Amino acid sequence: MNRSDATTGNLPEARLLEDYLKEELRVLNAHLPCGQRPLADLLKEQYPGVLCRDSNTYLFRKKELTYLAGLVNPGEEADLLLPILIEMKSESGEGVVLCRGQAEAGVISKILGMAVTVERNRITLYRPQLSLVRKLLRTTTQYLFAPG
Amino acid sequence: MPPQLIKVRPTKIELIKLRRRFSLASRIQKIVKDRLSVLMMEFLQIAREAVEARRKLLDDFAAAYQGLSMAAGYHGYIALEKELISEEGDRTIATGLRNIAGTKVPALELEEAGKTIKSYSLVDTSARVDEAAQLFQRCLEDIVVLAELQSSLETLGREINRTKRISNALQYLIIPGLKMTIKYLYMKFEEREREEKSRLKRVKVLLEQK
Repeated sequence: MNRSDATTGNLPEARLLEDYLKEELRVLNAHLPCGQRPLADLLKEQYPGVLCRDSNTYLFRKKELTYLAGLVNPGEEADLLLPILIEMKSESGEGVVLCRGQAEAGVISKILGMAVTVERNRITLYRPQLSLVRKLLRTTTQYLFAPG
Repeated sequence: MPPQLIKVRPTKIELIKLRRRFSLASRIQKIVKDRLSVLMMEFLQIAREAVEARRKLLDDFAAAYQGLSMAAGYHGYIALEKELISEEGDRTIATGLRNIAGTKVPALELEEAGKTIKSYSLVDTSARVDEAAQLFQRCLEDIVVLAELQSSLETLGREINRTKRISNALQYLIIPGLKMTIKYLYMKFEEREREEKSRLKRVKVLLEQK
């Protein structure tokens, strides 16, 4: 370590920190799936799962898939895409479910026992509601961390 | 350990670098806090389920051993042992990985759960043996469930520790250090500006005197 490094602030620790922090951002959402799959397709498989960005296979529980099949309206199995992604907001303790259609809204409203509103493809859930949804759909929901 | 001033040259370029680093650290800190709250929520939920699963397992084992005692009492211990030791059934557990907020936890599922494998002779045994077999089948399912919950708890606990340390380091050490250094640089620049102004005034006075 030469004198210029010490005075310029380009200390190895500072560089290490920056590299580490960038790495944290990079791997934060590495567990997310490459794509969502419809419930109808997953119900037919022996080992239903999706491929994740980090090349691992994420398996769903068949019991949960069967449970979801019972919750969706008939004919909507192809519309419900899994896993359901939940974006967390730390300031308010809310979670936002990202959905592309009404299938997710129907499922969540049946689980919570109350109607939910979809605003701009998002459903806002509060912490107790989120706990309940996660308890029942442990493998078919995933958290998403949005940087910034 | 109090936050420390970072030794930097008091230049605008260093200030820009520090401000970028501060912005990155703040973003990461917010995300790490989100992740920590999610991990804690999941940890508590899994802990409750693990306690429940353990209680259920103990109850089921008590019932299973009671059933086994009844069967042994009916058939005789030696006859029962002879019947059960003759063949073995295979059970398969499907293993995989689950992801909870970036933490990989094992997922275990007993294949053909709910189905009791009867690898003993049905002719030489009675319904009591069937009942005991069913109860032990339930115990096996409970063991698999508890194994998954227990290992998930341990993995999540380690990850929470790690994330907490990162969050604390960012919150109490790195971000305050960066703020302090940025403030120091601004002060240096102001001082430099004031010196420059007073120098220019002196030069102006000297020039006027000439």
